[in-house]
Amino acid sequence: MSVDLLLGVGRFVLATTLLLLMTVPTAFIVIQMEIKVIAQMQLRYGPNRIGPWGMFQSTIHGFKFLAKEDHMPDQADRATFTLAPWMVYMAAAMSMLVIPFAPGVIAADFNIGIVYFFAVIGLSVVGLLIAGWASYNKYSLLGGLRSAAQMVSYEIPLTLSVVGVVVLGGTLNFRELIAWQQAHGWMLLWQPIGLGIFYIASLAEINRTPFDMVEADSELVAGPFTEYSGMRFGFFFFAEYVALFIMSGIMTALFFGGWLAPWPFPAQLDGFAGTIYGLFWFFLKSYLFVFVAVWLRATLPRVRVDQLMGMAWKVLLPLAMLNLIATAGVVVWLNL
Amino acid sequence: MTTEPQIRDPLEIERSEEARLRTAAGLPPVARSGEFAGFESVGLPDRPPQTDREREVYTLDEGEMLVNMGPQHPATHGVMRLVIKVRGEIVVDIDPVLGYLHRGIEKLCENATYTTVMTYVDPMDYLSAMHNEHAPAIAFEKLYGIKAPRRAEYIRALVVELNRVFSHGLMMGFQALDMGGLTPILMSFINRDEVVDLLSAISGQRMLFNFFRVGGVNFDVNDEFISRLSTWRAGVLKNVEMNERILTDNEIFRGRTIGMGVLSGKEAISLGVTGPSLRASGVPFDVRKAHPYCIYPELEFDVITQPGGDVYSRYLQRVAELKQSIHLIDQIVDKMPHGPVQAQVPGIIRPRPGRAYAAVESPRGLYSVYAISDGGPNPYRFRMRDPSFISLQAIPKLMPGRLIADTMAVMASFDPVMGGVDK
Repeated sequence: MSVDLLLGVGRFVLATTLLLLMTVPTAFIVIQMEIKVIAQMQLRYGPNRIGPWGMFQSTIHGFKFLAKEDHMPDQADRATFTLAPWMVYMAAAMSMLVIPFAPGVIAADFNIGIVYFFAVIGLSVVGLLIAGWASYNKYSLLGGLRSAAQMVSYEIPLTLSVVGVVVLGGTLNFRELIAWQQAHGWMLLWQPIGLGIFYIASLAEINRTPFDMVEADSELVAGPFTEYSGMRFGFFFFAEYVALFIMSGIMTALFFGGWLAPWPFPAQLDGFAGTIYGLFWFFLKSYLFVFVAVWLRATLPRVRVDQLMGMAWKVLLPLAMLNLIATAGVVVWLNL
Repeated sequence: MTTEPQIRDPLEIERSEEARLRTAAGLPPVARSGEFAGFESVGLPDRPPQTDREREVYTLDEGEMLVNMGPQHPATHGVMRLVIKVRGEIVVDIDPVLGYLHRGIEKLCENATYTTVMTYVDPMDYLSAMHNEHAPAIAFEKLYGIKAPRRAEYIRALVVELNRVFSHGLMMGFQALDMGGLTPILMSFINRDEVVDLLSAISGQRMLFNFFRVGGVNFDVNDEFISRLSTWRAGVLKNVEMNERILTDNEIFRGRTIGMGVLSGKEAISLGVTGPSLRASGVPFDVRKAHPYCIYPELEFDVITQPGGDVYSRYLQRVAELKQSIHLIDQIVDKMPHGPVQAQVPGIIRPRPGRAYAAVESPRGLYSVYAISDGGPNPYRFRMRDPSFISLQAIPKLMPGRLIADTMAVMASFDPVMGGVDK
């Protein structure tokens, strides 16, 4: 066995392990942000007992899931009931593989990163659907079917809005796309409509307010998660918040220049300092969009399921198509 | 616990389980399409249908199922239970099942003296405890043939209007919460806390005030209370307006409420719906104007109505009435006379045999009391009409053809309080 192959395998194992480990603090940070930010917006203190400013509240939530009874309904389908949380969690964790954190800090820098990302993030719908199906509960079933309808519908405008970016950048590789943005300015300036469609569709894709039809606590109790408890629910919970971070990170990479610093600062630095610099800007931008999602959650009520589908098919899809045609026209016209 | 590995159709499992239970109950094993399906699928022991309505609701056509929403459901306002017949997400029929909070308050009142009745009626409609006490106080005064002093009447009007302010404020929050908005309910509770602090300063209790007496009220208000009231008055609209900014012009909120659950004025009258829900359908009926009581003839106010009759109109109606109540409070404080707050009554009141009826405008509608005296120390018969209970009749009429999510929005718009429904 050649040394190169061994190194490659070793690098892959290291990268995937680090990414899997990273999901846990990411989820904790996003959950902590959500509870504290919403508390501030609702004129509450929020949790303030565990650690300074209640910093470790979400960590304690995580341990609480481990300690709870893992209950399964009598008539649930054991195999699929057990499988569902893993599918949702792995879909989120696997999509982290292509996120460009900083120059040289990409777990798998391959040439179809964008295609891979949208293929993998869409897998979570399968997990939600079988969670709803296997739970033997009418609320779960309704929630699972809602999630299937919603996520399949929103995947189309989501992907179409990114095709504009791809046509403009001429690449499916995140690293090259960021290099393009360094040369031509952030994609935000070129694709403002695409950005709007992407943001709305990504909120629907990860079931965030105002599109949280899947959980819809005032209608479906907790949707497909109704019968889950303990760490199985914990995995759904983790996956949801990791997905929020991932979508924010991907939006940063696609539209906001990834690890590039904004105008008054030097866009990139060299060497190890450059990595830290890139990580800083990437995480800053990503968590900014997490903050916006939390802000929306504190502000907006939920849309209704038919309005949600109507919006996907009647508004976002035609708009994304027009945007794509216009982008293609501009690319041909300006010969970019 | 089953261990079969393959994925099975949950509805099919349900049918086989149902067949087992049906056989055990001595019924034919399979309910064919269009046949009475029994009560097992909503967790009740099986029995033959007792009314035509029951047979209608529990008869399932192909593709329909019964969803049991409540009594422990996050959005059913306490312990209300709705058996919803759905086809996919579309509601076909609704059967409200009541009685989970029944405490027999009417019977308890019949065993209490006229003074202690006031302690029992508080926890009925716990968001309008002052109104709950107001109607029996008026009815018993009619029975006993006395009148409360004028200052007591003004204090009564003051506290019931304060109560109306926080009740309508909470409705805004619950309406948003049942549609997935998280923030307005917290603003509503800040608003409620401020009012409840005032009411506890005057009555000594935060929720179950026990403030009204036959022939007066329990405590007088002093200058310190009036100055606290004016401080509260200066800032009261802050949280309400914050809620309005979040909800009233919100595109999602409007999209879900305008044209939803439209109740025409005629239907509302025939169903017996009263209060803000009736006025939101364009019917200018307000007990404070139509059958004046207390000091309302001396106050200047108009009956507010909305033309729409939908969920959004009912929401706007509450907001408008909240602001109207604040103006009424201003007038009451300005005009409040001096004098005693309690008429002379004996410790044990024994009215002459007779009957009395009193109605007040509670935040949920016409709340009335009918009391019969046989000359003894406690009412011979004590009957309360609770507006939430009557309003709930409208929900099964409005919902068929709508979605499950709309059920919650429409239910919240009638602002039912289960403590009052079940008594």
